[in-house]
Amino acid sequence: MGAGLFGYTVRRLLWCIPVLLTVSVIVFWIVRLAPGDPVDTLLGQRYDPAVADRLRHKYGYDQPIYQQYFTYMNNLFHGDLGVSTRHQDFTVKQVVLPKMWVSTQIGFYAMIITFMLGIPVGVYAALARGTFLDPLIIGSWLMLDAIPIFVLIPVAQWFFALKLGIVGLGYDGVYSSHMILPILLLGLPGVAGVARLMRASVITVVGEDYVRTARAKGLKDETVIITHVARNALLPMVSIIGLSLPGLVGGELFLEELFGIPGIGQESLQAVLAPDFDVVLFLVLFSSTLFVLANVLFDLLYGVIDPRIRLGEARG
Amino acid sequence: MNAATVAEYYPGGELAPPQRWVFLRRLFGKKIATVALMYLLIFYGAGIVGPFVAPHDPNKQELTVQARLQGPSQDHLFGTDALGRDLFSRVLSSARTTIIFTAIVILTGEFLVGLGLGLLAGYRGGRTDTAIMRTGEVLAGIPTLILMLAIAASFRQRINDVSFWLQDHTWLGQDAKLWVKFTIVIGVTVPFSWVGTSRIIRGQVLSIRESTYVLAAEAMGASTWRILWYHLLPGILPIFIVGLSSSMAGIAGAEVALSYLGLGIDPPAASFGTLIGGAGGVRTFQDHPHLLIASALPVVLFFFAWNLLGDALVDVFEPRTNRR
Repeated sequence: MGAGLFGYTVRRLLWCIPVLLTVSVIVFWIVRLAPGDPVDTLLGQRYDPAVADRLRHKYGYDQPIYQQYFTYMNNLFHGDLGVSTRHQDFTVKQVVLPKMWVSTQIGFYAMIITFMLGIPVGVYAALARGTFLDPLIIGSWLMLDAIPIFVLIPVAQWFFALKLGIVGLGYDGVYSSHMILPILLLGLPGVAGVARLMRASVITVVGEDYVRTARAKGLKDETVIITHVARNALLPMVSIIGLSLPGLVGGELFLEELFGIPGIGQESLQAVLAPDFDVVLFLVLFSSTLFVLANVLFDLLYGVIDPRIRLGEARG
Repeated sequence: MNAATVAEYYPGGELAPPQRWVFLRRLFGKKIATVALMYLLIFYGAGIVGPFVAPHDPNKQELTVQARLQGPSQDHLFGTDALGRDLFSRVLSSARTTIIFTAIVILTGEFLVGLGLGLLAGYRGGRTDTAIMRTGEVLAGIPTLILMLAIAASFRQRINDVSFWLQDHTWLGQDAKLWVKFTIVIGVTVPFSWVGTSRIIRGQVLSIRESTYVLAAEAMGASTWRILWYHLLPGILPIFIVGLSSSMAGIAGAEVALSYLGLGIDPPAASFGTLIGGAGGVRTFQDHPHLLIASALPVVLFFFAWNLLGDALVDVFEPRTNRR
């Protein structure tokens, strides 16, 4: 951690602030732009102008947009995330936090599966380069990746739950056998991406001089591959973790909707459609913060574990 | 030795003779790429010509028990859907939807915005570069799908107002509503699709900006646009095409996902997203598997073929990265 790295970190982190503020303005504006507002949805058939006005006043929707924005941001900095209108009388915190925890666990296990499978598959494909096995392995994982998750889910549900009857459908807590299928369906399509990057990385490393040296001094093939090739080829994979987050969140949206899992993906879809202003805003802001910080973090981590990378200096 | 490239005999690189036909020959030398290309030709042919020669009207409903949910037969190649519409004809129309959508996004988002801004950022550098790349960073930091949903959901509320106005005031007539929906889906896809392209293009421009022929052109007083168009663009086109074919599945997939959620192109107009949505659900799949298979398989193969083609193009254009 030299002075350069510290300065770079500070600059990257400072840069996150305007990015996130811009995002918040854009999202706030877009969400409020819609002609319908939560009050219309709340009242529905029993719409009564007097009640509607009172409700709008209660939630502050009768104020000018910029004022609403400043109120919202002010509350946000004081830890008040606002109230949900779709789940009446619940705050956003009460609605979102338990669901977020469910989704985080599912996403975490799915990611472990993606990397635990993707890395060996990539190494194997790289070593099998030149034979028919390499394109076959990568190709079949790519095929899985090409199927949209909302097509994959009904087929997998039918095959494993209805035909074979080995898993149950329906949500029964995160730690139940019912979750095996959703976690696999979320994790497996990502294997292709990880495997391809790992393959490219291994191919680069295999050509290095120190690998030739290791072979020349008579080390066993397995030793060379595991300790010399794979370890060094793993370095670039760190930056992929951050980049794979958005895809994971997107996949969870369909997954939770189709498996009836009470997670954040399902909630965000419903909140957008309702609309539930504060919930949508919080979800977009939270995930933006997460993505931006994750990318900074993994970039930095990459620099720490591989000192050859000089962050911020190569850029003009 | 078959991997030896012209560039290896002319290490200067800039002296190498045009390689256009070499690329094509190398591409067709790959069996997988040829198969993928053939499938794409069929898909595009079906999408462009198909709707005119379709055996049935894709929107004609037939709500009798016998006509609904038929399995594949000679009259209905892919069977019929829950409203008795011929699924084969609807798949053909969906292919057309995908083709129109991707063509517009590529022309606007990738070519105009992505390539244009990438060239500008790389060549101009300085503040222009910072502004463009920072904007890209903002967009890349946003959870795309949720925001796309939010935008699409907000704008859809106004569909009726706008489309009725267009119906009365322009030549669009009955199609106005469909075009408004197209505009919305394209409008939410384009802002997020250009960032990756611009980054790649910018990197490439940075590397060839300093080459002697560009410096010579500058010394002779060529305008910025002339340099961009005649001197930088040809050097960038290969990497642009490679990037394009790899991102094609993602672009087409955005429309399918939005339509699946009911926020994109929706019935009666056909899209693979709505077809899959209509066939979805595990119970429906159990009883009528032809619905999902017929509506998902063509588009899944479309994604797959573009990905394979993208991989093959990487190999063809940059043989060194993959076979050293």
